[in-house]
Amino acid sequence: MGGSEQKGIWSRLENVPREILYGLLLIAFIIPMVRPIGFPIPISDESKRWYNWIENLPDGSVIMIDFGYSGGGEPELGPMAVAVYHHMFRRGGLKAIAMSTSTEGPLLWEKAMAEVNPGQYGAQYGVDYIHIGFITGTETAMAAVGKDLRATTSTDYKGVSLDQFPIMEGITDASSFDTLIVYTTGGDQSEGWVRQWYTPYQVPYLCSTLAMMVPTMLPYRNAGQIVALLAGATSGQMESLVGKPARGIKSADVITTTHILVLAYVVLGNIAYYASKASRKG
Amino acid sequence: MLVTGRIFALGMLAVLWIFIIGGMELAKKKLPTFRRLPGLDALPEMMGRATEMNRPVHFTTGLGSLTESVAPQLVAGLAVLGYASEMAAKYGVKIIYSVYAAQVMPIATELMRDAYIRAGKIEEFNAEDQIRYLSGEQFAYASAVQGIAERERPAANIMIGPFYAESMLFSETFFRIGAIQLAGTARGYQIPFFAVVCDYLLIAEEIYAAGAYLSKDPLQAGSIRGQDLGKIVALILMFVGVVIYAFGSNALIDLLKM
Amino acid sequence: MSLMVRRQIPILIVFVTALIIMADYFLQLPPIDAVTKKSWTSSLVTDIQNWGIVLAAFALGFGAVNLSYLHTRHISRRTKGQWPFSIWLLLIIIIFAVTGIRYGATSSTYSWLYNSSYFALSATVYSSLGFYMTSGIYRALRARNLESMLLLIVGAIAIMRNAPAIAVAAPIVINMEAWISAIPTTSAQRGIMIGAALGAIALGIRTMIGRETGFLGRLTEAEKGG
Repeated sequence: MGGSEQKGIWSRLENVPREILYGLLLIAFIIPMVRPIGFPIPISDESKRWYNWIENLPDGSVIMIDFGYSGGGEPELGPMAVAVYHHMFRRGGLKAIAMSTSTEGPLLWEKAMAEVNPGQYGAQYGVDYIHIGFITGTETAMAAVGKDLRATTSTDYKGVSLDQFPIMEGITDASSFDTLIVYTTGGDQSEGWVRQWYTPYQVPYLCSTLAMMVPTMLPYRNAGQIVALLAGATSGQMESLVGKPARGIKSADVITTTHILVLAYVVLGNIAYYASKASRKG
Repeated sequence: MLVTGRIFALGMLAVLWIFIIGGMELAKKKLPTFRRLPGLDALPEMMGRATEMNRPVHFTTGLGSLTESVAPQLVAGLAVLGYASEMAAKYGVKIIYSVYAAQVMPIATELMRDAYIRAGKIEEFNAEDQIRYLSGEQFAYASAVQGIAERERPAANIMIGPFYAESMLFSETFFRIGAIQLAGTARGYQIPFFAVVCDYLLIAEEIYAAGAYLSKDPLQAGSIRGQDLGKIVALILMFVGVVIYAFGSNALIDLLKM
Repeated sequence: MSLMVRRQIPILIVFVTALIIMADYFLQLPPIDAVTKKSWTSSLVTDIQNWGIVLAAFALGFGAVNLSYLHTRHISRRTKGQWPFSIWLLLIIIIFAVTGIRYGATSSTYSWLYNSSYFALSATVYSSLGFYMTSGIYRALRARNLESMLLLIVGAIAIMRNAPAIAVAAPIVINMEAWISAIPTTSAQRGIMIGAALGAIALGIRTMIGRETGFLGRLTEAEKGG
């Protein structure tokens, strides 16, 4: 093979058109979705920590849940929210009060509830779980709810008075809650809850965010301000722990295949770069 | 009367007040000097490139409004917008500002109009064409910006402010059309995405310094000096804390918890 | 409008409001309620926060009004390449608004509309990030120099750790990524957070004392003190 041909090949490999990159990536997405491969899923210490926290809560514990993610984040965070609800209902004895700091939160909560089907556990709306609606203002909302929930909202997400629901008896402010769980695609929410609930009231905080947000939330986790921090992409682990395989486990296969492909791209790009460089010198 | 557990924080806040107000007063007498910020020094190069290619410059301050916790970043972006608009006007280049929060529009209009007046080119300013309110929804806004990129094909793209998931969408799209890019955000989640794609980057509080760096405004510059003094105090506390903790003392931890 | 109304009164409102909120956080000012053990500032701050929520809710509506106004102008002026899309946008706004008002924003009809349109589009655009990241990674993770070599190594470890099957096959990447996350990443992020927090405090202080141009329009040279 001639030198100029080799140079050409390496140069082409150094600059593979994005159509080819995306095309192969699409294949790597589709194959495991259509035909699950069943790659093993390691259960991280963090997932176990989250699971054990919920499992070891005393009966009667009240949990505040913020459905603070948008529709775009649902494929990643939805399965995590569903798996955790399965855990809470199966365990029993817990009260789950949800709210939303994102406008789409109530709709996404309904979507999650449809997947969970609380009735199978004997859980009842207004007794074991509830959604108190979208409250605008992000941190202002968090602060207001933490200070005086009843002054901030008096109805559930459908406009029914909170006084009609047994689950809301005795719930007044952040001190009424034993744990805070947040699912969010927004750093303002995930960090805001640290400032507005953990710092003033010391409410234990479990946080699930997009995978790309985890490094930035780590300082809070490492400082002990967050009990457990999980990327929504690890929902397969939570589903394994809870024993309810669903979308999370399916997407774990996709994550593996696409990551392997991306690694191959990186290796290819570097080989082509150095070979191209050597060809130019030669 | 003082709430237990917040006394040290109150003390630190008081110290920061002194630093920042003191810094602003001192800056009125003598402007502090800044280290070079290559990204901002590249602005003339970016404008020049746009002039040569006869293509516009695109500017965006990202998501977030003036009522949110990311407002400081938005304000920092607006400070650079004013400067970039004046430069664009002088170079005869059209600058397009994509807006996410409707409340920013009147501020941006005033900023850019003033910039064009200072450049002596007010007749070239067209608010309706140059300041585009796209949407208050993240991905509708992101799609619209990508549309502007594909249709208008700016030669340069400046992104300074609070950015969320759309940062990678913007960076890659503008890279693909061949635009030179300057990006800056204090949202740690998005800095890596800008770092791998953009030509110039302002990291975290460099965006706060940007406005002062460009405008030489004594108030902003003095405020930056006050922040830097605050950082020095934080560094001293960290160093002292690490050392005394290594020797088995919890004194600083107890002080911080006061 | 006089300078007093345009500038001084808003600054005073901001200053007093911020002072009350800070006082409530740091101090317990008497009189303290014997039953709730809370200071008089506590209920005042609750009211202020609720006003803030109401104002934020107005901002949502303001965006919709602004959008409608802008696109109506595009339609009336037949802006080239824009006006058909403006008609479409206004039509969608009307459909969602009418459905929400008629059936309720939590009704199954509204949910169906949302799930079939906005949710699907939103998830699609979000998912396209994966493709953009791939092309970005392919270009960026090249060992051109020492810094990019470090970026390549750390990036590769993170990618391997996050692929479940690779993490099971090579558990060493779990420990390596844990160290990278716990030490250099956390340290860098803490530095960024401290800097960003100081910037936010500085902006707050400048706003409280009326030295911030962003909210109230540009300061005159005399006001700047220059």
